[in-house]
Amino acid sequence: MPLDDTPLPADPADALAAVAALRRLADRLEDAAVEQAMRAGWSWPQVSEALGVTRQAVHKKHAKRLIAGGVTLRRRGE
Amino acid sequence: MSAFDHYLHAVLLRAGDEARLDGSASTDAHHLLLALAAAPDRQHPDRQPDAAARLLAAAGLDRDTVRAALDREFGHSLRTVGVSPDAHGLPAPTPSGERPRLGASSKLAMERGFTTARKKDLTPAHLLLGILRAEVGTVPRALALSGIDRAELAQRAQAAIDRRATDGSPDR
Repeated sequence: MPLDDTPLPADPADALAAVAALRRLADRLEDAAVEQAMRAGWSWPQVSEALGVTRQAVHKKHAKRLIAGGVTLRRRGE
Repeated sequence: MSAFDHYLHAVLLRAGDEARLDGSASTDAHHLLLALAAAPDRQHPDRQPDAAARLLAAAGLDRDTVRAALDREFGHSLRTVGVSPDAHGLPAPTPSGERPRLGASSKLAMERGFTTARKKDLTPAHLLLGILRAEVGTVPRALALSGIDRAELAQRAQAAIDRRATDGSPDR
């Protein structure tokens, strides 16, 4: 939906709650999308470049969780 | 540790589990509310629910109805900016194995609930009252959207605290 079609909610409480909800949605989407990519054989550098963040940041945020989830992670250079 | 310390510790552990299930890196006030509403005592299944769980149950709130209220608030808030809460069809991610940190809204709830009483007088109702005292944020919005009268529930929690203070009954 184009942004023009969705004016900022008039009530500040709605606008602020939308920010909080979008952050939650983005966090969930990131967890799901990174896991999907790593299961499909993407490397850390590819995932981090696609997200526009450093490799260290992605690794720190997701490595433990994915290992616990049984995802086979590619080593550097593979 | 006092009985209340043990209770609080158990609530924080349950709230942390709720946060991880939620994919949240922080344990927020709404996770505390889920934990208060749940209050399962697996070691002692015959034990009576504590005052906070009883107050919530009397308002029609158990763990699942609180969860439903939170989901309603999430969807409602996203739709105000034109986003669907289930916009992606990706499989649910593996939950994090790490303990979430205590979020700002949880710290506020504990401050609000605990400052009015001496440490030895704290009860589960104090924690519930602290959560209910938030005027803005996820919890008051979720309760309002689900037709729960937050002010009345807070009054009942305060009344439970006052009753306990006057007659000294162990109202846990």
